[in-house]
Amino acid sequence: MNENNQAQQVWQSQPVEGIRMSADAIRLRAGKFERKIRRRNLRESIASLLVIVGFSYFFATSPEILLRITWGLFIAGMIWVLVALQTKANPKSMPATAIGASSCLDFFRSELEHQRDALKNVWTWYLAPLVPGYIALNVAWFHNFPHSRWVGFVVLDVVFVAIFVGVWKMNQHAARCLQRTIDDLGRSAS
Amino acid sequence: MSTIDAISLPTRDELYENAARTFGVALERLARGYEADPDIRRDLLQEIHVALWRSFEGFDGRCSLRTWTYRVAHNVGATHVLHQRRSRQQTLVGLEELENLPDANSGAKAVDRSQALDRLLELIRKLKPLDRHVILSYLEGLDAASIGEVAGLSPGNVATKIHRIKNVLARWFQQGGTRS
Repeated sequence: MNENNQAQQVWQSQPVEGIRMSADAIRLRAGKFERKIRRRNLRESIASLLVIVGFSYFFATSPEILLRITWGLFIAGMIWVLVALQTKANPKSMPATAIGASSCLDFFRSELEHQRDALKNVWTWYLAPLVPGYIALNVAWFHNFPHSRWVGFVVLDVVFVAIFVGVWKMNQHAARCLQRTIDDLGRSAS
Repeated sequence: MSTIDAISLPTRDELYENAARTFGVALERLARGYEADPDIRRDLLQEIHVALWRSFEGFDGRCSLRTWTYRVAHNVGATHVLHQRRSRQQTLVGLEELENLPDANSGAKAVDRSQALDRLLELIRKLKPLDRHVILSYLEGLDAASIGEVAGLSPGNVATKIHRIKNVLARWFQQGGTRS
């Protein structure tokens, strides 16, 4: 027997547990899985809604128009991020039929491309929507407290910008890593 | 009643039961190639079964039941590797690199089948998803055309990959060997 047949024999004769699942057990598990996803989505929505409710409170109670604009912009930004999180950032849920109809190469490439695009465009759907609110907050602050100590606020701005740039850079790095994997997949398939 | 009316297409449950009965053992072996931890592997196997059952909703018979089943299983497995790799920071290699990698077990003889299997699994789990799919299908005894159909690779590409797999396995078995 040659080495390759030997490897195939070792592989095919390995002991298995013989796990069997009836269609009813599968249905039960699929139902559990769907409920789990629904609960997770609900938790995410509730957390985001709480933040929006908090902002809305400030929006409603702010005595001054500039502050109202600020909170209004933050609320709009949060809603934008929320919608984008549901559509772009969530791992692509496996389409029930496509998973069997697509070849491994196509399916894997599309999964990678979906993740890469979400990371690469993080600026447009995750970071940028919060910028108008933050700029408006700066304007409102200086308008209402023109004689306050501006150094503290500049430091806060620097921290804010550093966090934004950090998040953006980390995501760009992750997107580049995924792009390398996609390129590699292309090479491997050619 | 027309002939078309008389033909009853298999239901999703029937298709699933048929696939699970015919390929259940192969799916279990395949899950082993994608996950080492027994508990996570059991979950992965169940995930494969659920994905398979759900997928049959749109099975149109344009490919064989075997091709469809293997595609689902490998696609779930590859997605699992993609997610796990992020958390484990694993570096995976292609067949080409594996051919040139020194064998960590060089010189050490695999004393029995169980040890030989462990080393074979170690080798498989080093591979990137697409190459892992090819080696697993090869070990399952699928021919080049079937491997190409499941993977979406050209026959020439599959032939090259199988040639590499044979080289790696030959080197590995010659060095390690095994007693039946």
